[in-house]
Amino acid sequence: MSAGNRETAWRVFSSELNTASFEIKAEAEKMPSYQLSRLGAVINRVLIAGVLTEKENVGTPDEPMWRGRIQDVASGTVYINIGRYQPEAAAAMVDLEPPCLVAVVGKVKSYTTEDQRTYVSVRPERIIPINADTQKEWLLDTAKSTWKRLVDMKKAMGAADRTEKGLEKEGFPELSAKGIALALEKYGTPDSAMFLKSIQAALRTLLPDKNIDLGLQEDLSENPEEIDLESPSADDDSEDKEDIVLELLTELDTEGKGAPRDELERRAEQEGISSMELEEITNNLMDKGVIYEPNLRYLKRI
Amino acid sequence: MEISNRGSPPDGCGKAANRLSINWKKRPENMDDFEKTDIEPIVRDLYDALDGKVDEETIRKEVDSYINVFHIPEEFARSGILKKLGNTRPAVGGQSVTKKIAELEGTEMNVTIVAKMVFVEKKKINAKGVEKTIISGIAGDDTGTTPFTIWSDTGDYEKGSVYTFRNAYTKKWRDQVQINIGNRGKVEPNTEVSFNNVSRAAGTGAQEMDIGSITDQTKNCTVTGKVSDLSSRTINVKGEEKTVWGGMMADRTGRIQFTAWKDFGLKEGDVVRAKNAYIRAWKGIPQLNLGDNTEVERSDKDIGTVADGVSAKTVEEVVRIGGGLDISITGTLVDLRAGSGLIKRCPQCNRSVLSDECTVHGRIEPVMDLRLKATVDDGTGAISAVIGRAETEKITGITLGRAEEIAKKKGDMGAVADMMAGALILKKVTVKGNIMTDDFGPQMIVHSADISKVDVQAEAEKLYDEVEGSM
Repeated sequence: MSAGNRETAWRVFSSELNTASFEIKAEAEKMPSYQLSRLGAVINRVLIAGVLTEKENVGTPDEPMWRGRIQDVASGTVYINIGRYQPEAAAAMVDLEPPCLVAVVGKVKSYTTEDQRTYVSVRPERIIPINADTQKEWLLDTAKSTWKRLVDMKKAMGAADRTEKGLEKEGFPELSAKGIALALEKYGTPDSAMFLKSIQAALRTLLPDKNIDLGLQEDLSENPEEIDLESPSADDDSEDKEDIVLELLTELDTEGKGAPRDELERRAEQEGISSMELEEITNNLMDKGVIYEPNLRYLKRI
Repeated sequence: MEISNRGSPPDGCGKAANRLSINWKKRPENMDDFEKTDIEPIVRDLYDALDGKVDEETIRKEVDSYINVFHIPEEFARSGILKKLGNTRPAVGGQSVTKKIAELEGTEMNVTIVAKMVFVEKKKINAKGVEKTIISGIAGDDTGTTPFTIWSDTGDYEKGSVYTFRNAYTKKWRDQVQINIGNRGKVEPNTEVSFNNVSRAAGTGAQEMDIGSITDQTKNCTVTGKVSDLSSRTINVKGEEKTVWGGMMADRTGRIQFTAWKDFGLKEGDVVRAKNAYIRAWKGIPQLNLGDNTEVERSDKDIGTVADGVSAKTVEEVVRIGGGLDISITGTLVDLRAGSGLIKRCPQCNRSVLSDECTVHGRIEPVMDLRLKATVDDGTGAISAVIGRAETEKITGITLGRAEEIAKKKGDMGAVADMMAGALILKKVTVKGNIMTDDFGPQMIVHSADISKVDVQAEAEKLYDEVEGSM
């Protein structure tokens, strides 16, 4: 994709989103990062729809930080986090009363805990109440695009050369070739049953009068909200930098009302953390619920 | 469909090598439907390649058997069938035809070409585990250039010299014709002919193309289409007055804007074949140019119904093509950007202004207008869509007058944009218009915008049939 192109909002079920644990890191500052799905979707932005089942303001009334859960009906739950950089979504959250149908366009974020569990969440740019018709349209679109990725994946698995180049030769568009080749490398063969079940659930909602049965084993296992990574990533220094930032926050919090942002920025820079990086790190820490913003100019550990 | 659990090997299934854990076990014969290829284009090609000496029904039977019963890759199927049915022709050898590069169709079995080697090299390839040296390069004549391969390593060839490629056969790979010299073929120096105007770039062979498949990457091409919207204008080239003609050319696959740089005697409604035309793209929109090297002839070919309307495309396709005219995109309106809603314009230059001051015309009495700058995302990509007043009024139900009232009442022009956002965001829309691409990605100037109605029931049933049918 050229730099100017806006990132596609992928229509994915939570089953695909929550298992997209591998992060394709940004190649340079201001470049997007992506979560790679097991079916090869290279996701920066998503469009999801479902029932907002809960919302919680984990910030303050003046500086809200919203968290919410959306049940996508077909496969499970997606977590959303809204901070001060999403003013439109934050304002919309105030008026939403769960349970209600909503659609969300937002950026995908992930973080990995010390014991190597990766959580994927969405930071909404827009969250809007929708009606049942719009929700059904989303279920249909998402079922269709999930099915297309399954079919593409199957086709790719039959290819002699499953590298990006090889798949391009087979006629895959550049982005699918890249995504599928990398997904096969990082995750191996996808568990297609999980995705077929999501499609089946969507079709059952869309066609209630039809006895939809894809002959899948009906298991009752929990939806995968967390994923074990097989190997810890060795070169990840973001954890270290998070520790540095946390220490600075403690150190600079002299009066108990938090650490002043400008001071934090200055000190972080001395530690080799650019203001861009600091922004990213503090956002991550806020996502994790380790720190919060008592007000605009301060950050505080919880 | 039955799904194997992770780790347990698929049992009772011949496709164990298929590692995706879908076992297409229940009704494996239905996989044929799942992957059935449309064979008609192949049948037509072969019919032409066999000079109509074999009837279509016989060819269709063969193609069906090769492709759909035995799953032979298309390329091998074509050559197999040509070999099989081509025996009805007189013995190969005396029948070689001589062609120019632009005339090659990619199905010639025995053709002679006189061309300059604009590039040549020896190459090591790996054919079925055996290393082999071949000679490959690019051959060009006054009609175009195309890659060639000599499947042997004997002979020395000189870049820049003209050769006669005798008893060659051609193939098509990714819309590119390639000349092949096999066992029967010969390449001999030809000192009688010289070409001065051969371009070196590969892939510039002026192949026959459908207008709909022309992209901003296309270089030379030959198209057959119907001329419309013809007009002439005078331009100034290096101090000299020159008349050029412009208009639209359409076939059944699409429409393209063209410029004729000299008088080809074009008339409105003519069907013409423009051989060796070239493409220049403006902001991603490909435009057809008929220049000095282009030959234009009337064609009495029945080209069927030409595309006069709008072609539905996905954003992914648009990104690949670069842009185009009369494109329709259906997707979700995911965002309304700044500059949407009620805006002010300079009465003289029509630029949108934020205050009562125009950067060009100074202090002005601004004119109010409505506009939407929407982001439409169809799941394959996103475009920016600029929607003017009439269509904005249509899809939002808010007229300019009403918008001005709202702004006045709330004391805020932004209130209009907020209302429109509430009414439109995450709605499915179909936008039609011209798309061009610049540094900010593809942008559509919208001619018409509509909220789309989706027949969810029917589409869901279709999907269910497809999913179930392939299991």
